[in-house]
Amino acid sequence: MNLALIKNNAVKQIATVIFIMLTIFQISNANAQQHETRQHYSAEQKKALGFEIARELRCPMAINQNLFDSQSQIASELKGQIFFMLEEGQSKNDIINFLVERYGEKIRYMPSLNNNTLFLWLFPLTLVIFSFIGIFLLMRKNN
Amino acid sequence: MFPEIGLFLIILSTVLSLILSTTAIAGIKLNNAYLLGYTKPLNSLVCLTLASALVILGYSFVTNDFSVAYVANNSNTQLALFYKIAAIWGSHEGSMLFWVFFISLWGTIIFNYAPKESNLFHTKMIAVLALVIFGFSLFMVFTSNPFARLLPEMPIEGRDLNPILQDIGLIIHPPLLFLGYVGLTICFAASIAALLSGGLTKQLARYMQPWAILAWVFLTGGNAFGSWWAYNELGWGGWWFWDPVENASFIPWLISTALLHSVLMTSKRGILGSFSIFLGILAFSLSLLGSFLVRSGVVQSVHAFASDPTRGMSILTLLIVFAGTAMALFAQKAQISRNKISDSLCSKEIVMLLGNVLLMVAAASVLLGTCYPLIIEVITGTRISVGAPYFNSIFIPIASLIFLLMGLAPLIDWQKSPLSALTLPLVLMFVCAALAVLISVITKGTFDIWLFLGLFTSIWIISATLFVLIKRRASARNTTKGPQQSSLRFYVMCCAHVGVAISVLGATFVSNFEQEELLRMGPGQGKTLAGYNFIYEETQEVDLKSYSAIQAKIRVEDADNEQLITHIYPQRQTFKSNAMQMSAAGISSHFWRDLYISMGQQLTDHPHLNDNEYLIRINFKPLVNWIWLGALMMMLSGLLLIICRKKAPLFNQDSAQEKTSSMENSNESSTDKK
Repeated sequence: MNLALIKNNAVKQIATVIFIMLTIFQISNANAQQHETRQHYSAEQKKALGFEIARELRCPMAINQNLFDSQSQIASELKGQIFFMLEEGQSKNDIINFLVERYGEKIRYMPSLNNNTLFLWLFPLTLVIFSFIGIFLLMRKNN
Repeated sequence: MFPEIGLFLIILSTVLSLILSTTAIAGIKLNNAYLLGYTKPLNSLVCLTLASALVILGYSFVTNDFSVAYVANNSNTQLALFYKIAAIWGSHEGSMLFWVFFISLWGTIIFNYAPKESNLFHTKMIAVLALVIFGFSLFMVFTSNPFARLLPEMPIEGRDLNPILQDIGLIIHPPLLFLGYVGLTICFAASIAALLSGGLTKQLARYMQPWAILAWVFLTGGNAFGSWWAYNELGWGGWWFWDPVENASFIPWLISTALLHSVLMTSKRGILGSFSIFLGILAFSLSLLGSFLVRSGVVQSVHAFASDPTRGMSILTLLIVFAGTAMALFAQKAQISRNKISDSLCSKEIVMLLGNVLLMVAAASVLLGTCYPLIIEVITGTRISVGAPYFNSIFIPIASLIFLLMGLAPLIDWQKSPLSALTLPLVLMFVCAALAVLISVITKGTFDIWLFLGLFTSIWIISATLFVLIKRRASARNTTKGPQQSSLRFYVMCCAHVGVAISVLGATFVSNFEQEELLRMGPGQGKTLAGYNFIYEETQEVDLKSYSAIQAKIRVEDADNEQLITHIYPQRQTFKSNAMQMSAAGISSHFWRDLYISMGQQLTDHPHLNDNEYLIRINFKPLVNWIWLGALMMMLSGLLLIICRKKAPLFNQDSAQEKTSSMENSNESSTDKK
């Protein structure tokens, strides 16, 4: 009886921890969005940011390559588009969202967190936690 | 004529392997020495038929027999001789034959040199192997016959081997990977045989250990060389893309690393036998799953050269039959021994077990990421991508945990370490972390978590390993008569671990301190990057036997004193046989850095300029070669372990322990029965 109660508590606590972590993740994302109003980038920043964005997006033409590596026509145009938007002072999120709107969720190599990808993001974390708990329980049982 | 004989030989080996398996199983069941006497010659015969089939395929390539579809599709009259031979394993059908032959060869070598007293274990293993060979051969005969004819419309000149594959990489990379898979197949058979013999005992684990090590060595080589090849050949400048095909061979590597350590624990301490068996089955199943992903074309990949959906079903069937029956057998027969793994949480056993479990977690996560787009598309119909940014953010934290344990494990004792033994490692860990933070802040200006993780884990592994070496030397001086063999194994382990650290360091540096420039360049133009001047001198034309190319001659000089360092020649190649175009990067390699230039499209969008400008990408890649240097260290340590195992009087030394261990084993099995 008592044991079941403890287990129940533990489950609740773990659920709370996961929920808090997710919330932090979301807030930091939202924060990042709010924070980034139009700004002027230096040439260095523009280059670094532009390359970074191009690396996180998938080329709509090539089989499985990011925009940066792909040598297709469309990839060159989209790279141009990215730098054009950086010139306008748009943020990384704005640019990625703009391109995702045009070419679909598929071009995002870093899947966003939503109902579909919740499992994808939570699975590794859960497994790590479970393996620690598992080893601990194994030892308890052993002794 | 010859191709028909080849096909006949494959059919023959299919039948023979079935007979071999039946004979072996019947012989064991009936305890019939007469039947068992047939296993060795039958086994050698299977190996011989497969070898002959492979030779005939090679002969068809060398003599340009384009009436054979596989030869016609992968070779032409202009192909150089060694590429013709390498083309044997360059595509699907031939690589299957190659794979099956090596399963048979490796099995035959083990079986013929098997020690007398353990014959039954080896016979069981051969029976399982024969079933695997039977399955694979059946698959070949029905869906991927390498000797299928292409009559009457045979191409006179042949078609072509994919131009990307015409490289030294093709001669080395696939065979290494296949040999790794073959090793995993052997470990799978050994696991099943152990399962049928009542569990993986110390003795059986000792038989299995060199095979697990060799499989791991080959897989390490296959992965590392594949990465090196992609870096050099494909002209994208990356060394790892988390592409489905890379993941398909990386996942078995992760599991085989776990298998290696688990078998080591079983052979040394007699614990976790069932876990080792499970890993053996898992590693083989995942290598089959990997083949399924790669060869069926269900996932989109840059490296898929031999995909065809119709084959997918057959490989999936093989996977379900082998993995399914093995897992069912495991569920039924595995004995989770109630033996104590160790006395306390703070012991080498627990740390290694946790490391192995985390390796499995890493493999599962990579597998999920690889298959997730497929799963989501089937369930919801939306198309998403899971790529490098995701894998990095998931894999690096898990890997960091594993690296922490990897440094820690050699520092603490078997069975039970007092908690005070943890103080020193913790202090060391703290020092390493502080150092990593310092370096990260100095070099980047801010605290970068990824740079920190990479630096911290590699410094930690190296310093912890050095520390344990010093400790060991000190204690060896005190007790002059240390066992020679185990100390060699110890040094080899240190070498392999440092190799991992060096790879991590290389990967960290190249990901964090790479400098790059993407620009249009024509003759006479220059650019300065990372202390080097790059000057485009001229555009040249090259004409070789199988391709013609335009190449840029780029002069590299020191930015300070303008002294010539080298010339780099990136190319855009056009293949003569199929007019396919591809770019080949120009690389100037050095111990501390690589200068990497790739040549993109010709730019003709500005009519007022002369159209002799190209899109040029220049990269400065610090320490990139360390990635493969580390892998080489890992491979060499593994090989050293196997070679020295044969020569050194391991068995003499161990035979004394053997009696005690066999007694322990019998005790274990009796407790299991209770």
